[in-house]
Amino acid sequence: MGRAGRRALAGVALVGGALAPFAGSPYRAQRGRVDVARLAGVVAREEDHVTAVELAQWIKDRKPGLRVIDLRAADAFDAYHVPGSQRVDITTLPTTAFAPAETVVLVSDAGGHAAQGWVFLQALGHRQAYFLRGGIGEWMDDVMSPVAGRQPAPTLTRYFGGAARAEGAPPPRGPRRGGC
Amino acid sequence: MSAPLPVFDAGSARVLELAAALAIGVGFGWALERAGLASAPKLVGQFYGTDLTVFKVMFTAILVALLGSFWLARLDVLDLARVSVPDTFLLPQLAGGLLFGIGFVVAGLCPGTSCVAAATGRGDGLVAVAGMFCGVLLTGLLFAPLARFYESTGHAAWTLPEALHLPYGVVVGLVVAAGLAGLCAAEWIEGRA
Repeated sequence: MGRAGRRALAGVALVGGALAPFAGSPYRAQRGRVDVARLAGVVAREEDHVTAVELAQWIKDRKPGLRVIDLRAADAFDAYHVPGSQRVDITTLPTTAFAPAETVVLVSDAGGHAAQGWVFLQALGHRQAYFLRGGIGEWMDDVMSPVAGRQPAPTLTRYFGGAARAEGAPPPRGPRRGGC
Repeated sequence: MSAPLPVFDAGSARVLELAAALAIGVGFGWALERAGLASAPKLVGQFYGTDLTVFKVMFTAILVALLGSFWLARLDVLDLARVSVPDTFLLPQLAGGLLFGIGFVVAGLCPGTSCVAAATGRGDGLVAVAGMFCGVLLTGLLFAPLARFYESTGHAAWTLPEALHLPYGVVVGLVVAAGLAGLCAAEWIEGRA
């Protein structure tokens, strides 16, 4: 190839390189990166989740930047949800915008989907993310309708409008259980 | 009756993958040979600043692949998420790179060019390929004591945008600028030699 041809190719490369910074991301979807060792340490220290009582206390205290994300189906969310929570489908969770200062708590039926969503958010760099360990079921059992005499936090139960129930009695009202 | 190689039992997709790999490999080897990279003196010339063909070919390939993959992905022709990126193991790969460089200077050939040289019937290419296979065998036999180092300092697939905390497009622009500057410098150095 002659000198003119080489210069033409260099010119094409130069134009392609110069325009690249303004072209946006080449990835079709947001792509995260997982530091597995760090995540394992967070899980081992049990810093990946909150209990229902802890979440209730955060809500009551109006913890700055708290954002409760409910990953359950729309009908389950409509039937009951943690006060102040927002429903987000798990498929759109990776593209949901979260501010760096926000503390995100993920809620699902039994904690499974929320734990998986927690991994997604960690991979995308949202370190202030947690999941409700036992899901909405734990919220109902420990906050909204704890068994009388074994109430973990009676003041929180009263604050959220719940009531203790007799030993062996089913929860008076609650979402469908058995999901993830 | 089974196929002569077990891998062919995996289905036609695997056969197609192997056929594509063979075609790409032959094409790559042909391009290397046409660029004159089967010659050990030509390859070693880059270490003495007398012939920077290898440097120019490799940097041209890097720029073509970088710009091609970036713009094809941006135009939605290529899904970058499906392009395999090997994991980064920093210290083991630095050690491997150093060993690779020493072998490159000593043999005057790298793995790809040694295969091309061997295919063209050059004795030094055959010796280099034999040495490469002996090295692979030796590493396999001694892997147990090396395993801890081999698996150390893992960073998964660590790319320049992640390492530099810069957007992908900015990294593309910087690499293109550095590559073109390097190619101009190589022409200048060759012109002085």
